Amino acid sequence: MTADGHLPGQPPAPTAPAPPAPVPDSTETSDGDWRRVHPASPFVRGWFALAAIIFFFGRDLLERMLQGQAVFENGFARRAPWLLGGGALVLAVAVLGFILTWYFTKYQVSGGYVRVNTGFLFRQHRQARLDRVQAIDIVQPLLARIFGLAELKFEVADAGESAVRLAYLKIGDARQLRATILARASGAVPDARAGTGPASGPAAGTGSVPDPGTIAGHGTIGGTGAVGGTASGELYPGDHPARPAREAPEATVLAVPPSRLIGSLLLSEQSFVIVVGGAASVVLSAVTDNRAFYFYLVPAALGLAAGYWNFFNKGYNFTAAVSPNGIRLRYGLLDTQAQTLPPGRIQAVKISQPPLWRPLGWYRMQVNVAGYGASGNAVEGNTRTILLPVGMFSDVLAMMSLVLPDPGTDAPAAVFAAGLSGRDSDGGFVTTPRRARLLAPLTWRRNGYAATGTALLIRSGRWWRHLVVVPHQRTQSMALHQGPLARWFRVADLVLHTTAGPVAPRLTQAGLDEARQLFDEQSARARLARKRQTTEQWLRQVVPATAPNAVTGAAEVAAPLPEAAAGDARPHHQQEGQQHG
Amino acid sequence: MHTEAIDPPGIDWQRVSPKYVTVRLVEWAAANLAAVLVLSAPLAMVLLGWWRWPPLWLAVTVPAVMLLAALWRLVLIPRQVRAIGYAERDDDLLVRSGIFFQRTMAVPYGRMQYVDIAVGPVERALGLCSVKLHTASPGTNAHIPGLPATEGARLREQLAARGEARLAGL
Repeated sequence: MTADGHLPGQPPAPTAPAPPAPVPDSTETSDGDWRRVHPASPFVRGWFALAAIIFFFGRDLLERMLQGQAVFENGFARRAPWLLGGGALVLAVAVLGFILTWYFTKYQVSGGYVRVNTGFLFRQHRQARLDRVQAIDIVQPLLARIFGLAELKFEVADAGESAVRLAYLKIGDARQLRATILARASGAVPDARAGTGPASGPAAGTGSVPDPGTIAGHGTIGGTGAVGGTASGELYPGDHPARPAREAPEATVLAVPPSRLIGSLLLSEQSFVIVVGGAASVVLSAVTDNRAFYFYLVPAALGLAAGYWNFFNKGYNFTAAVSPNGIRLRYGLLDTQAQTLPPGRIQAVKISQPPLWRPLGWYRMQVNVAGYGASGNAVEGNTRTILLPVGMFSDVLAMMSLVLPDPGTDAPAAVFAAGLSGRDSDGGFVTTPRRARLLAPLTWRRNGYAATGTALLIRSGRWWRHLVVVPHQRTQSMALHQGPLARWFRVADLVLHTTAGPVAPRLTQAGLDEARQLFDEQSARARLARKRQTTEQWLRQVVPATAPNAVTGAAEVAAPLPEAAAGDARPHHQQEGQQHG
Repeated sequence: MHTEAIDPPGIDWQRVSPKYVTVRLVEWAAANLAAVLVLSAPLAMVLLGWWRWPPLWLAVTVPAVMLLAALWRLVLIPRQVRAIGYAERDDDLLVRSGIFFQRTMAVPYGRMQYVDIAVGPVERALGLCSVKLHTASPGTNAHIPGLPATEGARLREQLAARGEARLAGL
């Protein structure tokens, strides 16, 4: 197991003249080699069984010792060989199983595919196309973290509901593999010798917010363009195709302080329910003079504490960063997780604000990513789809500028503000017509939509405010719905279909003519946006004609390397953000 | 066939085969008559004097309401079948359905992941099939039932060819 085993730019680059093969020294393996996960993986995965065995035997032994009994019963000596033999047999079978599992788990990155083979009785071969990568997560449960191991999860769009999982790799290897996969998926590696593709791509992908100043003074947004540029300098070395792909540099965009996380938990809906429920049971027990109500509170409190702990553990130290390979989200107290969402992989975003958060101006953001929604574990799916657990409006804008680099409007801050807190026709929103106010007496002034050049914004909710953003080129299909009541009021619902996830975009009770017009316009916009996007490899979505400029651009952009590579959130206003793709 | 209220204007809808009414009738009979018969069992028991509970009015009301609802659904079937329509436009397929609860769906050809053709026993006897489109979204429930087998095959080929020509990523 080597830390730098992957060589980008060999077999998948048939156009490039084959470079002289590097001298295969002991620390390097060639590109298509099958490699194995860390030998300790089965033990780390099977720790629960081992812990249970130790717990039961250990407790028995401890009790005997405390009670002053002999540790071993009389006649133990007679049975000892059998017991020892049986124990050894069980242990040997278990260890053999672990070793076989480990031996038959192999993975390979070559030719645009990741392949993983597992199992020795029931063998499974799984391969996933690199350019269909939707997200890469590095997960470290507590025990794996202690041993410096990590699990790599790889979500692809065409692999059905199950992702490719590699558990466990050394943390360095996992990062290395992630960098290799991302470098290939981005299309940077086959083009490495030309050195032109990556140069303008990242700037277009991450930094093309029209005016960083309008995004609530978040200077780091402008700085991301610089990060993209520096990447092309060192990530994709044209002269050294044998060098392994390095981790793309990244700049932190925002961090959620623990105090705000705790505050958001205390002000969540479940806290409200707890307070009301607790007060009700106290009143009831006082009125009826019956103590039994307190007993119901004990299991409820335990369950709630577990829920709070889970959320705190997952949301602790949440940081979002941007790199040329997409958005990086890191979080976790005991179990840490690092998600990488390549550009253009987010299918839909929902920004919401419960009523208790409104005085503090906090918002929550959730996303649909293909593969995340379909993951079997609901809790895991929930935490992975959170783009921002709690943040201020400026944080929301910063994240939106990463998700939607080109908002398609001149005043993104005003439009999003109108979407989050406005009503009626603020910010160009079209709301439910007045004739249908009886259908939605509270929300008819909020229910509405606005279409920018790149996305459709759907806002709803008076108390629980929601704003859903769907990029035009991510719309799968859509439908108009109308029931008898809606027909009476001449309104209709427009449903946009995206991949499975927490966001279900639905425009409710739009005027019939507006809805029909939007249905047609949205079809046309989605069609145009699809034509514009030609490849899944995000660094290659650049017009080749800009290549000569891009080289000089890369040199200029690469200049502020030390500043950006420091990876800090210091605001430095740079104009790279204005390079449009 | 006039275009309904929420449809985009000027669409020339293709209708499904009128024989599909038979398929729906068989499905209706299997589901509703069985339910009415089961719910009538207490009435028979009460009338025969074997049961004292439920009271007669309840034993009559429940199956009667079920029967009325079933008859209402029966009356709607021909109109519901006539309301199903599809239209192949240049870039997407439109599918509409429903009388009271109408739905018009547009599925871009480039978004189709695969196309299913399903044939049930009754459909096979009548020479029908149903075509289902799948995109990456579970919400895309584009289902065109009651197509003649040749039309179904033609539609599938047509969709596959157009999908390939306009294939887009996710």
